[in-house]
Amino acid sequence: MTRYIIKRLIQGIPLLLIISVILFALMMSMGDPVATMGGRRVTRAADYERLKHQLGLDKPIYMQYFYWLVGNTWTMTDLDGDSIAETPGTRLGILRGDFGTSLVNRKPVMQVIGERIPNTLILMLTGEVIVILGALLVGVYSALRQYSPLDHVVTALSFIGYSMPIFFIALLLMYVFAVLFKRWGLPYLPTVGMFDPQVGKTFGQVVYHMVLPVISMSIVSLASYSRYIRSTMLDVLNQDYIRTARSKGLPRRSVIFVHALKNASLPIATIVGLDLPFLLGGAVVTERIFAWPGMGRLFLDHVQRADTPVVMGILMLVAVAVIVFQIITDVVYAWLDPRIRYD
Amino acid sequence: MSKKSVLYVVFATLVVASLVLSGCGGATTTPIVPGNTPRISQTPVPEKRVATLIFTQEFDNLAPLYSSMWFVWTTWQMFDHWAWEFDQNNEPFPRLVTEIPSVDNGGVSPDGRIITMHLRNDIKWSDNVPMTADDFIFTWEMAVSPQNTVATTYPYDMIESVTAPDPQTVVVTFTDPFAPWLANLWHGILPAHILRPAYEAEGTIDNAAWLKSPTVGCGPYNFVEWESGSYARFVRNENYWGTPAKIDEIFIRFVPDDASQTAALKAGDADLGTFISYSDVPTLQDAGLDIVIEPSGYDEFMFFLVNAEKGHPALLDVRVRRAIALAIDRDGINLDLHFGLTKTPTSFWDGLPYYNNPPLQPYPYDPAEANRLLDEAGWVDSNGNGIRDKDGVELEISHATTIREDRQDVQAVIQQDLAEVGIKLDVNPVDDTLYFASYADNGPAARGEFDIQEWSDGPLFPDPDIYYWLCDQIPTDENPTGENWFYICDEELDRLIRLQSTQVDPVARRDTISQINQLFYEKVYIIGMWQDPDVYAVGSRLQNVKFSGVTMFYNIAEWDLVP
Repeated sequence: MTRYIIKRLIQGIPLLLIISVILFALMMSMGDPVATMGGRRVTRAADYERLKHQLGLDKPIYMQYFYWLVGNTWTMTDLDGDSIAETPGTRLGILRGDFGTSLVNRKPVMQVIGERIPNTLILMLTGEVIVILGALLVGVYSALRQYSPLDHVVTALSFIGYSMPIFFIALLLMYVFAVLFKRWGLPYLPTVGMFDPQVGKTFGQVVYHMVLPVISMSIVSLASYSRYIRSTMLDVLNQDYIRTARSKGLPRRSVIFVHALKNASLPIATIVGLDLPFLLGGAVVTERIFAWPGMGRLFLDHVQRADTPVVMGILMLVAVAVIVFQIITDVVYAWLDPRIRYD
Repeated sequence: MSKKSVLYVVFATLVVASLVLSGCGGATTTPIVPGNTPRISQTPVPEKRVATLIFTQEFDNLAPLYSSMWFVWTTWQMFDHWAWEFDQNNEPFPRLVTEIPSVDNGGVSPDGRIITMHLRNDIKWSDNVPMTADDFIFTWEMAVSPQNTVATTYPYDMIESVTAPDPQTVVVTFTDPFAPWLANLWHGILPAHILRPAYEAEGTIDNAAWLKSPTVGCGPYNFVEWESGSYARFVRNENYWGTPAKIDEIFIRFVPDDASQTAALKAGDADLGTFISYSDVPTLQDAGLDIVIEPSGYDEFMFFLVNAEKGHPALLDVRVRRAIALAIDRDGINLDLHFGLTKTPTSFWDGLPYYNNPPLQPYPYDPAEANRLLDEAGWVDSNGNGIRDKDGVELEISHATTIREDRQDVQAVIQQDLAEVGIKLDVNPVDDTLYFASYADNGPAARGEFDIQEWSDGPLFPDPDIYYWLCDQIPTDENPTGENWFYICDEELDRLIRLQSTQVDPVARRDTISQINQLFYEKVYIIGMWQDPDVYAVGSRLQNVKFSGVTMFYNIAEWDLVP
């Protein structure tokens, strides 16, 4: 197994390189970061040319990619206009751990991303836990009580939840539980942000402010996951070995949760394994609506400003996470299904 | 422990670790506010008076010189005063100087090249170091240093020298007479005693800690922290040299979504909202918030491309341009799409009535007159396809603007209005980063690829200066940085624009601007679409709030909160 993991990790290196080339080329056609630096006014032409030169954006794309990858510490640039290159490059390149500097706020990319990852993880992991537990509960119950009145109700609710766009759910919840509840004199939930400035950023405040975003995010995923679990559970429950287990007189709880659910979990592990790396990418819509300072908003804000270093940093982080979680998923397969061997 | 239990523990640890990380991380300087965790239903006892403001855009960089964002400019006034600021009438008043320099008080030389400023002798930085002329000289040096990636060098690159005959006197000498100095100079001053060592050590201040965290300032509030994507905090400057601020803390929350901002204001989660969309005004008023509409100097304009080599030949004829102005129901657009909260701008100086003198009136909506003018100009529908033509050329005009939603709505309305008079309008919504790319990068606006362009613009408010239409600003391969993206070279207009930029006599300058105004009107080089004011929503707790059209924080120290 160890050899398999190492092999997969080594295979991931050229894959990441190819991904980085493609993404960088795409980012270069996303827009001009200097064009909108003038605020409400178009960037003054003289400033435009100066900033492009100072920030190295006047170089050919392949050269910008090369500097992004391996740095430019051996180069000199003429910044004072005397035709003599006098200013040494300072970028180390991602191969030496330097993801560059944001073109928007001039902070190191890793700092920019590092400030957001905890906020995203708290939101996304909590949501994922709720979704998985809730979906298991609903899915298993629906499978066991197929075509019961409650199964029909759950099915109907699942389709409603799945068909509603997340921005609508988020705004609806915000309006009801924050605006209307306050108007009605009921205890109400906060609308935006991570804490009340009057109180400060305490553990309780963060949890309190997470309620609406987590619910909004969870509704759609919960609906789809529960349908999937219901379906796989129904398949497994009709297998011969389940019938055998029952006829052997095993307790119902043991049959369902040990024999049926474990085998039904295999395809679910695939979905979760695919979902997990994207948790790092955050929830673009939810974070924007609830003003949650996570990775999704960071990505959106910086894509809009064509901030290549930050966007590339986020995308490469997600790419690495996809590769790593795929390996983890494979390992979990082997754990769930003893027939699977990688050696 | 079984494998399953291990997985549970790992998962639970991840969630708890994220919660802890979130509590600890993110903030750039200050850790978690200590205290007992309140129960969810518990209402905390207020210990400090905090005003919560919503900004719809996050700062890109808080340091003076390093940003052109309006939200940043206005925030400087909270922690780093301008030399002079502008009140609710957009009139300048002295802040760091004893009086506004003028020709009458000897502060401006008769030729308009030399400005002499006398600093107050009681101003000091929040670390108790006196502010002197050296800070002003240092600010100028940093603005024009080629090693610093400042957002703009304007107007400091117009300066020949900045000298200090004594610590309280700053003498600015421009290379040429420069009339717009008052509106553009000294927006935020850099503390030389903090930044000069960094500059001397590295040759640039780009990486100086103060730029990321400008905790020392000269305004009524001190910057405390800025958590990316979330908020920025400012607390009262206890060493402030002026009258202390009344509110303990200003908390700026970044909320990019309009609907969320509206919900937060209605729920009482914020005391002030910015850049309120027109459609949200009625519901916020119903919720008891005051709506303040402040002219900002910006208005939405359609700019004609009038050039024999570029653009549609019909636009060379002023009658066609006037017909287009008459064919568009601009008052209807303002009424229907902006709920009557905006009006059709009267001129390019709509936000500066002093310069719109004698006042002009926009062309009315008169499709019949538009049809008559087009007929007179020889543009008729000779082939019966519903589109006018002349000499085999169809009157099919391209129009481009950014992808902002209300602009796309308006494009549809304009298209329909012009179709009524036989003009076909090809609409082109373009992402703004692509649209405003430079000539060298094949930016469509800079290259003059569209017959009519549209965006929000104005003079260098509150100064009336303009320069886009100068003949030598037309971009070419040899002059790719030119900003005359309308490709109009009008010698009379060129002469007047150059003249006003050197006139330090306000009355003479007003007369020149009026001539430009009249010329714009008669030759129809632009069409004003709607006023583009700043719209604020102010909660009932917030008192004594005044806004300038230039910035929103000029009287921030006087703002107060009532329970």
